[in-house]
Amino acid sequence: MTKDFAVPPVVFPTGGSSGGANVQQRRFSAIPFQQPPPQSSSQIPFLSFNMGSAAASSATTAGPFGGTIASSSSFGGGGGGSPSFEDEEPLLDELGIHPDQIWKKTRSILNPFRINQTVHKDSDLSGPIFLYLALCLFQLLAGKIQFGVILGWIVVSSIFLYVVFNMLAGRNGNLNLHTCTSLVGYCLLPVVVLSAVSLFVPQGAGPVKYVLAGVFVLWSTRACSTLVVSLADGGEEHRGLIAYACFLIYTLFSLLVIF
Amino acid sequence: MYNNMGPQPGMPRPPGNPQPGPFGNPFTGAGSGFIRGGLGAYGERILGSSSEYVQSNISRYFSDPQYYFQVNDQYVRNKLKVVLFPFLHRGHWTRISEPVGGRLSYKPPIYDINAPDLYIPFMAFGTYVVLAGLSLGLNGKFTPEALNWLFVKGLVGWFLQVMLLKVTLLSLGSGEAPLLDIVAYGGYAFAGLCLAGFSKIMWGYSYYALMPWTCLCTGIFLVKTMKRVLFAEVRSYDSSKHHYLLLFLALVQFPLLIWLGNISVNWLF
Repeated sequence: MTKDFAVPPVVFPTGGSSGGANVQQRRFSAIPFQQPPPQSSSQIPFLSFNMGSAAASSATTAGPFGGTIASSSSFGGGGGGSPSFEDEEPLLDELGIHPDQIWKKTRSILNPFRINQTVHKDSDLSGPIFLYLALCLFQLLAGKIQFGVILGWIVVSSIFLYVVFNMLAGRNGNLNLHTCTSLVGYCLLPVVVLSAVSLFVPQGAGPVKYVLAGVFVLWSTRACSTLVVSLADGGEEHRGLIAYACFLIYTLFSLLVIF
Repeated sequence: MYNNMGPQPGMPRPPGNPQPGPFGNPFTGAGSGFIRGGLGAYGERILGSSSEYVQSNISRYFSDPQYYFQVNDQYVRNKLKVVLFPFLHRGHWTRISEPVGGRLSYKPPIYDINAPDLYIPFMAFGTYVVLAGLSLGLNGKFTPEALNWLFVKGLVGWFLQVMLLKVTLLSLGSGEAPLLDIVAYGGYAFAGLCLAGFSKIMWGYSYYALMPWTCLCTGIFLVKTMKRVLFAEVRSYDSSKHHYLLLFLALVQFPLLIWLGNISVNWLF
């Protein structure tokens, strides 16, 4: 014999559609939190899990916390003297990472025959860091843990290229180290592709690997020397000499990949 | 040809005083700028003296490095031919000097095939390291640490070569040739080493033929170059001592280059 007792319906003041909000209500009920203050004045933006104003879009697709923070952010703007969350720059901009610029620069090197030099005019170091991490990842997949080695070799080779270019260009050479490192890093893209491809080359095929590496190294060299000569003054009559220096650098990296 | 060079008073290279030369003030330009900036600032902090004193001291030890990088494609090709096949060089071996601002200084490498440069030694050294890594890898023994040790071995070999040349100069009187000249001459040995290393990769046995050839050619090149340097720098001309030292110079190339060319995981041997 069952005893009926009245279970009061648990109603959460969600503004969105009630049907879809049921599942969310279950999830939210498991989380202890204090009843939020009324909507208008929330001085501590992140703590006000104010679900009364969860927008329809957030109720359906966002995760349990995403919707709440999105909703609270729209009220957190009215907060007190501290810099408000709404006025802060997006995180990537503040860090100086511009993904669309990185993608544009990377795509310009992907075409081995024609390199768009204008996108590389302002140098940045975040693209090279992504490419470095990608190279380390592929090397890791091949069983070689070489994070420090590759970073050290990038630094040394960019200093090497900087010295050689400025000495050759003479009085009017104006390559600076930031641009040089940026270019060396971006032109590592073919080596990254080489390391990805060489994961699939069967083990015993020696000469195939060397030929493949040769092609990618030549691609890298061509990209790097073209960019360096076009972006800094004084290098035009020394193209071949600078190209040989770039060739040495990328052969060194390809040695890491092949062996 | 060198009859009229002998009795002349020595024509020392200007010790890099900051005077306008054919290549301008040694400390302007992006190339020397960072030497002045870097070494000057460092030295100023350490010595606590004025910037000019530090600069003049540095210029006494390092002549202007910009001079050694005034090269072009044609110079590089011809110089490599001279270094690798010195007996085929038909012309004379003396450096062309030009009077500039009341002092006699040598023409830069673009105009003078006999002038030393630093581009070829640096590139040859880099090629040596890369070829050494390649040959290690082909024997299955490549690791990045081994490559780093080979780099150190190459540096030690270059240093030994420079010491040898410097001691030769010193023991014959004045060792006043600029240090970077000696560094350049010492680095030319790597060009021959690269040739030998490349042939070792291509076909293993050719190495045993090409290595003595390389030693011989480097020896001849160094002897002929040092002979001119000695004529220019040293006052007294003591024939037999000169010749014995030059012969010793050529003979020492054999063990030195064989040691450098022996690429294995254990870098010291």
